[in-house]
Amino acid sequence: MMTNLFSVFDPTSSVLMLPLNWMSTFLGMMFLPMLYWAMPSRWSLLWTLITSTLHKEFKTLLGSSHFGTTLMFVSLFSLIVFNNFLGLLPYVFTSTSHLTMTLALALPLWVAFMMFGWINHTQHMFAHLVPQGTPGALMPFMVLIETISNVIRPGTLAVRLAANMIAGHLLLTLLGSTGPSLSATLISMLIIGQILLLILEAAVAVIQSYVFAVLSTLYASEVT
Amino acid sequence: MLSRLALRSVQEARPFLVAVRPTSTTAVNKATERDEVNFPRRARPVEPGKVRMGFLPEEWFQFFYSKTGVTGPYMFGVGLTTFLCSKEIYVMEHEFYTGLSIFVMAVYAIKKLGPGIANYLDKEIEDIEGSWVKYRQESVEGLKQAIEDEKKAQWEAEGQKILFDAKRENVALQLEAAYRERLATVHSEVKKRLDYQLETANVKTRIEQKHMVNWIVNNVKASITPAQEAAALKQCFADLKGLAPQSA
Repeated sequence: MMTNLFSVFDPTSSVLMLPLNWMSTFLGMMFLPMLYWAMPSRWSLLWTLITSTLHKEFKTLLGSSHFGTTLMFVSLFSLIVFNNFLGLLPYVFTSTSHLTMTLALALPLWVAFMMFGWINHTQHMFAHLVPQGTPGALMPFMVLIETISNVIRPGTLAVRLAANMIAGHLLLTLLGSTGPSLSATLISMLIIGQILLLILEAAVAVIQSYVFAVLSTLYASEVT
Repeated sequence: MLSRLALRSVQEARPFLVAVRPTSTTAVNKATERDEVNFPRRARPVEPGKVRMGFLPEEWFQFFYSKTGVTGPYMFGVGLTTFLCSKEIYVMEHEFYTGLSIFVMAVYAIKKLGPGIANYLDKEIEDIEGSWVKYRQESVEGLKQAIEDEKKAQWEAEGQKILFDAKRENVALQLEAAYRERLATVHSEVKKRLDYQLETANVKTRIEQKHMVNWIVNNVKASITPAQEAAALKQCFADLKGLAPQSA
């Protein structure tokens, strides 16, 4: 029963005063293939193909500076994609639709990059505040604008992901909540509408996780 | 899924003990063979686990089979769902309709895209496995070929013995020929020497004889007195006359 429109996002479904719904964050671990055998199975091969494609993508973005940094971003991607995607299934809590979760992912990354960059490559960071080819008169404003855009980066990363997840779920919930009061023919229309929305949501789930990972990669590559 | 994991974990718990032992830091006898009967080696499953209706594991149906036969699990499923829905223990609210849409989508996607993706992945796995198997087989073939070549080389080496005999014979023949040639040379040389001696002796005899003849003749000529000479001539004339035809 929905008390209000946003109750679906309410993270307090607790058993024994333990908020167990947050355990859905680790549900993705059940889907990771067991790589015990040297010969791949179908799922492990598919997973290896996906992660190796991502690794190649991130490697080109990061440049050949730090071997192994792509591991963090590929695992970030897999965490977010599993959370987003499994959240679409009924009765699974979407942990990435909460700012607590997304900020917890974005903020440490950004703070770490900034601290590393400003302490170790101060000159470089200052240079980044003025893009190439700006006319001399505009430079102070450019610095201001770049600083602001830099500062809001963790916010944008977090809010983008959370808002996309919330929007999709909200639409599905709205459509679905009219279900109990509909006649049979209208239910079929409802199902069709929900299928279309779900296709969109599935795409958004994957895309948003990819965007998150790519942007954090870009922010990392900017610092070095 | 979890039942299968549970079954598997029972099987795997034991081999893990065996796997843990080799990493001990005390000096253990590393040559002990694995007890294959009690701790069988884990086999790689090639096919995915058997499921009915796409997601219900076959083991659950086997579990029911001994008590309720073939239709047991289906009756149990239908009965349970009917009970939950009718008693409103499971409320069909917005999540249910989302779930229904997902179910329709999933069935469609699996039926349409499933075989395609499965075939592509199987082909990739075949390539990987094939390359490993091919590498192994080619190594084996290469080694077998090496064995054959080695045997051939050994056979060729044995054939060398016949060559040695032939060569030995050849050399013996050559020696024999040389010996005979030298023998002939010796013979001819000796003959030459003897011929020379013979010739010199002949020449000496001839010269002696000639000399003797000349000496005798000269002496006879010298001993002929004029009276003898005239008497000889007269006799000759008389003989001639006597021989001349009685004509005239």
